Amino acid sequence: MNSRVRIAGLSIGSAIVLGVLGFIFPGSVLGRLVGTIDGSYASAALRYTVPIAFAALGGIFAEKSGVINIGLEGLLIISAFIGIAVADTMAGSAGATQTTLWLGFFAAVLASTLFALLFAIVCIEFKADQIIAGLAVWLIALGLAPFGSKIIWGRVNSPSVGTLNNWQIPLLADIPVVGPILFDANPTVYMLLAAVPLTWFVLNETAFGRWVKASGENPMALDTVGVDVRRVRYASVLLSGVLAGIGGAGLSLGQAGLFNGSGTTMVDGRGWIGITAFLFGNYNPLGAFGASFLFASLDALQIRLQQVGFQLPNELIGIIPYVTVIVVLAFVGRTRIPDAAGEHYESGEE
Amino acid sequence: MSSWRKRAEQSLGRLVEASAAERIFISLAALAMSILVGGFVILVSGFVATCSEPFLAQRMLITIPGSGGWGVELPLPGSFCYNPIRVYKYLFIGAFANPQQFSLIPFNPAIDLYSLASTLRETTMLLFTGLAVAVAFRAGMFNIGTQGQLVLGALGSVIAVLWTASYVPTGIVGGIILIPLGLLAGAVVGGIYGAIPGAMKAYADANEVITTIMLNFIATGLAFVLVSEYFQKPGSGNVQTRSIPEYATLSPALFPRGSSFSLLVIVGALILAIGIYLLLHRTAFGYDLRTSGIQPKAAEYGGVDSKKTMVSSMALSGVIGGIGGAIYVLMILGRWQTGVPSFGFDGITVTILAGNNPLGVPLAALLFGMLKSGSLTIDFALGVPKQLVGVLRGLIILFVAMPEFFRMIGKRWVTPERQSAVATDGGTAVEGGERDE
Repeated sequence: MNSRVRIAGLSIGSAIVLGVLGFIFPGSVLGRLVGTIDGSYASAALRYTVPIAFAALGGIFAEKSGVINIGLEGLLIISAFIGIAVADTMAGSAGATQTTLWLGFFAAVLASTLFALLFAIVCIEFKADQIIAGLAVWLIALGLAPFGSKIIWGRVNSPSVGTLNNWQIPLLADIPVVGPILFDANPTVYMLLAAVPLTWFVLNETAFGRWVKASGENPMALDTVGVDVRRVRYASVLLSGVLAGIGGAGLSLGQAGLFNGSGTTMVDGRGWIGITAFLFGNYNPLGAFGASFLFASLDALQIRLQQVGFQLPNELIGIIPYVTVIVVLAFVGRTRIPDAAGEHYESGEE
Repeated sequence: MSSWRKRAEQSLGRLVEASAAERIFISLAALAMSILVGGFVILVSGFVATCSEPFLAQRMLITIPGSGGWGVELPLPGSFCYNPIRVYKYLFIGAFANPQQFSLIPFNPAIDLYSLASTLRETTMLLFTGLAVAVAFRAGMFNIGTQGQLVLGALGSVIAVLWTASYVPTGIVGGIILIPLGLLAGAVVGGIYGAIPGAMKAYADANEVITTIMLNFIATGLAFVLVSEYFQKPGSGNVQTRSIPEYATLSPALFPRGSSFSLLVIVGALILAIGIYLLLHRTAFGYDLRTSGIQPKAAEYGGVDSKKTMVSSMALSGVIGGIGGAIYVLMILGRWQTGVPSFGFDGITVTILAGNNPLGVPLAALLFGMLKSGSLTIDFALGVPKQLVGVLRGLIILFVAMPEFFRMIGKRWVTPERQSAVATDGGTAVEGGERDE
């Protein structure tokens, strides 16, 4: 059996066992924990999924087209920062309104896309090594965002700006259990729920999707039928910038309402977890979403554990998602990546 | 993910293959470009920032020379706070001297021992992490995890010294026992932590870029928990261990007492650089390691156990990173506390700039040591955030990553005959890694 399916089955199975145990012994720590797992836990997990899954979807596009983009973490950092910076600057002294927050959101996506464009030019035009250029994108963002914060706010953390309001869908939101989770959510959650099937559709059912796949598997064949490989790759990397931009803005404007630039910044490895998620999901947007949700629910779980006063230090619970990624990688190391990924393609006509 | 590995190995191979002259040229050109682009970043950020005395005001008068003040008044879209040239002057001169008093004519070096010690202190740390990353890179392993290995190595070192301190005499004798013990503990912990991603890559085919980054996050969290739960200094608000005894620290010689820099250590680090160079180029192990990095397939046909090389090269890399951690606590901090500076990530930049050559690492480390130390000066004297150095670090990597960019520029400027020379130089080196000395 496919090890991915096995791990997915195993985690769902153990979740059910733990859930039943907690239900039987409501007095235990497990019971108290299970007692807190409810609709609001599911909405939190879904909210946490947003940055990871958008990074993963972006990574799929880039890598399917043959460009390994390990700068996703940097794109998340830049968009998270620009979103708050623009929203706060536009707002002036009156404080940010929903309009300024949305302006910040679009600026964030634009900034991430421009960064992705820079990465694309460096990789495609100047044949840079993709792994090192990706590292550079991450390191530039890791320096630039706290630098910008210091310039704008005088410290590496921004003040609280506010978050995008939830969109409540009338009638549907009243459905018990599912309603509050799916139909009274942050706009970025809706975007994710739309983006996952859309990405799947674009990749599998459209001509562009076929070009992207061909560009990563056999660029020469694509060139032979008259499609410009470079353009396909540019488009894919830009798309990864757009998607990661929504993810980063979703993190800062959708959840936190501020930018935190200390240490590894508020993004804190979500871009890297996104990469792991799409590898785990075997480049399938649906699988990548599932894996992202798995990691995000662990993140939500550790916050829950802290809330019920579980006798474990916060930081130890905080590393659960990373340990999971390591364990997952140990069991699903192998993933077949596109044949031409990482390779430069030179058209014969040039 | 096996193809990821293939890609990483190929790209590392390409980096190593470039000839020494071209490597030096690319590194210098990348540096120059980063300074140029960084200057632009400084200018733009100075436009965003607010200050009382901008260096470029809202209106700028450009006069015609000799006309007695005639000229055009150019309206600027705002005011610019920071003068890039001044910032760079302070950044580089502030690393060893007082930039306000420093002058070439008349010559006044205005050496500031504290700044110099701070520069050399950073340089020492970057020497260790740069060498650690270089060893792994040469073996074809992208070790992004030096930071984690350093954090845990530092903690291991402190714990070992604190534990043993009560059993050994104090004073010089204690120091002679405790300092080597601290270094050993750091090396062992770092080595084990480095071996984990090596083993995961060798036996589970897990991509080491991802695992080492994840292990960095785990190391930080783990160290935090260990200290806060078991080794916390009683009564302290911060998460930190007790301080190691004074006699077990590497005390400054020739430098002011508070400068936390020991000349002995940087000498040791330089010897380590030479030692690693010799290990890589004069021993069978080094040969196996380098061939695995350049031609993994050929190395296997040649009888190199690639799995063993992966684990041992990562372990060796971790050992050096762990020693770096030990030096950090024994020489600089005297205890472990949260918020270990990002020496590991800077080490990546150092080694990429040095072309993964252990003998180039000291120069690159000195450059970044200057930048880090000078960043405090620009923050203090000019109000330019010290995080600027982080931006420069990223830019340098970006430019080093694209040698083609400089070749294209080169082709435009160089005459046709020399152009072919550049092209052959930039091609594949016939003897692989042998020529990169």
